[in-house]
Amino acid sequence: MTNSTEEHGVRINVSQLQKSFGDNEVLKDVDLTIEKGQFIAIVGKSGSGKSTLLRLVAGLEQPTNGTLLFDDKTIKKTDASVTMMYQDSRLLPWKTVIDNVGLGLKGDWKDRALSVLQAVGLSEFQKEWPGTLSGGQKQRVALARALIREPDLLMLDEPLSALDALTRTEMQDLIEQIWRDNQFTSLLVTHDVREAVKLADRIVLIEDGEITLDLENPLPRPRDVTDERLVALEKQVTSRILEEEPSTSH
Amino acid sequence: MSNTFQKQILPWLLPFVVLIVWQVVSMLEVVSPSLFPAPTAVLESFYDLVVSGTLAEHIQISLYRAFVGLLIGGSIGLLLGILNGWSKWSFFTFDTSIQMVRNIPHLALLPLAIVWLGIGETSKIFLVALGVMFPIYINTLHGIRSVDRGYVEMGRMYGLRGWQLFRHVYLPGALPSIFVGLRYALGVMWLTLIVAETIATSDGLGYLAMNARQFMQTDIIIVTIIIYALFGKLADMIAQVGEKNALRWHPNYRK
Repeated sequence: MTNSTEEHGVRINVSQLQKSFGDNEVLKDVDLTIEKGQFIAIVGKSGSGKSTLLRLVAGLEQPTNGTLLFDDKTIKKTDASVTMMYQDSRLLPWKTVIDNVGLGLKGDWKDRALSVLQAVGLSEFQKEWPGTLSGGQKQRVALARALIREPDLLMLDEPLSALDALTRTEMQDLIEQIWRDNQFTSLLVTHDVREAVKLADRIVLIEDGEITLDLENPLPRPRDVTDERLVALEKQVTSRILEEEPSTSH
Repeated sequence: MSNTFQKQILPWLLPFVVLIVWQVVSMLEVVSPSLFPAPTAVLESFYDLVVSGTLAEHIQISLYRAFVGLLIGGSIGLLLGILNGWSKWSFFTFDTSIQMVRNIPHLALLPLAIVWLGIGETSKIFLVALGVMFPIYINTLHGIRSVDRGYVEMGRMYGLRGWQLFRHVYLPGALPSIFVGLRYALGVMWLTLIVAETIATSDGLGYLAMNARQFMQTDIIIVTIIIYALFGKLADMIAQVGEKNALRWHPNYRK
């Protein structure tokens, strides 16, 4: 993975993006530029529209209005490789671990699949059925499946929220390390503010379909979650989320 | 030890006891032996039928009808199920008609099949095919439709389209359901064959039984019934082996 010299990453330009489902306006005029190689985290409560934004960027939904550009090209014309990690790993249970990693690839991919499995620490599980793996292991395989395509954009849709705390920390470190090695653009959607401040260069808060906070996070890596500056940043975002909530006023 | 007894011996105990009681009752001649032949008499006529080659001949033709009918009906059911599960257009075009035909008991078409197709092979194969088509159709349709949308979305995200998407996502996802349909269809297959062969034919296991009835050869009738049972069980076992093999990824089918 690391030895590939070609540059990865894609610049994403979202302007006046709007999405409605029926009368329900989920996203209202969102403008956002994500730089090449940036790790951006989108936080917000459920129903805020953060997942919709991710799905629009992934091309899984069509926007009602607005434009979405990848390296200044429309999403259909881009040849950028876009991969995704889901909250549920979505490994095909009828394919072995290695066949899941190589899903849809052409040519001779077995060696590459083995090396990405090695990178996520699961090469000895290559012949297993996904059903026999733990939740954390499944997400590692899902990560390997995303990485083998040498993504320009890796999208992470709450990929760690179903994991236990220890496994989650491990996975965060793994994702951070792989991102640093490969420098692809990363878009993380999460409701875990701590995860966002630990991983991302930039944290964007979405509330009711609008961006209400956009913070740079220049802290040096690798980051320690007990670092004061990190804790302060987490507090800042969290309190901003909570003050919007009328029902939590004591 | 007790586990082996429970699993290996206990299931066969009841049939064995029944067999003994049957033999004893027949030997005491409580009822006429021509109506109620002893197991030994059944075995004897089985032996005679085997030696004379009659049995093999009838079995062969019955298996041929069953197999060809299953192949034709099964393929059509599978194809329609896949098509209608895959495409809304196809579903709305065909499903209502298929459901209407399905609700006619297919054996009710026997007289029509004889009139149209004669008493030759075609009418029997037609009925078997018609009978096995629906369980396979319905289960395939259900299987394709209940494939997790998340897998489909993931597959598209990872570049699978058309045939690739079908082969890697839809078909394996639908397979457990398709096997349920197949095993059910095997039951329908034998049932249809027995009925079709007892009514209009000059060979096959059903004919053997009906012919024996005319000459009051109860032992031969029982032989044919046992052979039906054995073949039914055998077909199901083969399907089970296929199922286990194809679904070895599935937690429910793992050893």
